[in-house]
Amino acid sequence: MARRYDSRTTIFSPEGRLYQVEYAMEAISHAGTVIGILSKDGIVLAAERQATSALLEQSLGSEKIYEMNDNVVAGVAGLTADANILINQSRMIAQRYLLRYGSPIPVEQLVRRLCDLKQGYTQFGGLRPFGVSFLCAGWDSAFGFQLYQSDPAGNYSSWKAACIGENSGNAQSILKQEYKDDEGDERAAGTSMEMDDAMRLACLVLSKTIDTAKLTSEKLEFATITLKGGKPHIDVLSSAEIDGVLKKYEAVLKPSDS
Amino acid sequence: MSIMEYNGSAVVAMVGKNCVAIATDKRLGQRALTVDMGFEKVAPVTDNIYIGLAGLATDVMTLHDRFRMRVNLYKHREERTIEPKTFSNMVSHMLYERRFGPYFVEPVVAGLEKNGQPFICSMDLIGCINYADDFVVAGTAADNLFGMCESLWEPDLGPEELFETVSQAMLNAVDRDSMSGWGAVVHILTPEGVITRELKGRMD
Repeated sequence: MARRYDSRTTIFSPEGRLYQVEYAMEAISHAGTVIGILSKDGIVLAAERQATSALLEQSLGSEKIYEMNDNVVAGVAGLTADANILINQSRMIAQRYLLRYGSPIPVEQLVRRLCDLKQGYTQFGGLRPFGVSFLCAGWDSAFGFQLYQSDPAGNYSSWKAACIGENSGNAQSILKQEYKDDEGDERAAGTSMEMDDAMRLACLVLSKTIDTAKLTSEKLEFATITLKGGKPHIDVLSSAEIDGVLKKYEAVLKPSDS
Repeated sequence: MSIMEYNGSAVVAMVGKNCVAIATDKRLGQRALTVDMGFEKVAPVTDNIYIGLAGLATDVMTLHDRFRMRVNLYKHREERTIEPKTFSNMVSHMLYERRFGPYFVEPVVAGLEKNGQPFICSMDLIGCINYADDFVVAGTAADNLFGMCESLWEPDLGPEELFETVSQAMLNAVDRDSMSGWGAVVHILTPEGVITRELKGRMD
């Protein structure tokens, strides 16, 4: 029955579904996991690389994590080629905003404009949707630290902890269990978790969701966004730094009996 | 009066031993009227590159914003900061794009290359680059600056000596030009960092 309504992006099925969008999400569920965790003084993004080979020159270029702007860093899950187009677009969006208004683009504005772009491919043009989901971690002076998840349909929402890609369902339930969610005022992200807690939780979730027995820096990408001197500071960790992080939270990474 | 002389400006850059200097006056005028005495025409582009724009003030401000946009995009896409020579080429390209409706500015670029080598250049309003190994000048006081630099400059000046030389060149040049002056700022770029100093000059 679905066959008749899935070959064009721009038509609904009788059940009210957009099959092409759903198929795009299916593509993403096979991609490497990306986890984002919000803490009161920053955000951690951790990702699993899928393309690994001894021949790959890993140190140059990222596969999963990209800086969109000085105040926003994003983790990508899905078709890398599609992601590259969207990353470039978002960089242009951010700079055009800076040129026009003289101040850095607020995180939600950037996410919304990117999502508006993605939505266009589900409604007109006859082109397939982008097979990419983003986890955008950013800071702006109006709302502080924010973490947004966006999907191929162009929907986005703000999260305290989120996961996209393979095993994201599994990861999401672990995050729900372990995340310290306190009552706080709206601006302070409503949590007492600190960067250290967030890093530890990221390592824990990675160890439970990634297939390989041992986590190494070859398979992972890590990035953090924090404030330094009142300004947002993005740190995309090098292989050596990732090794350092894995060593620091070794206890959490040891395989458990359960 | 030409459009390039409407606001008034003086910008100069000089090469020293492992350092460069770039200086600007601070006057913003509207013909004979002086409107601002704090309008600096030189701005940092990266830690190692400064650009000074002489000419029509609105174009000076707009171009500074456009350069910031392009340099940011370069940084995010290439995952490295832009070099002075590359940046100058980009400026030249941006100006020539407007060949038949140009920005009324004359840029002066000063910077240190990755290997520590000093770099300066200037351009005309449609992007013709002039690479120099001694000094470059721009603005309503350009002719005066040429004269001062030609007599005061010598090669291999250290940061402090270069500062003295640039300062004397700037102060005496703008004193003979009605459209520029009202204070001056000098930036000395060295491998260790940038030293910025205000000059005390005639406030007229």
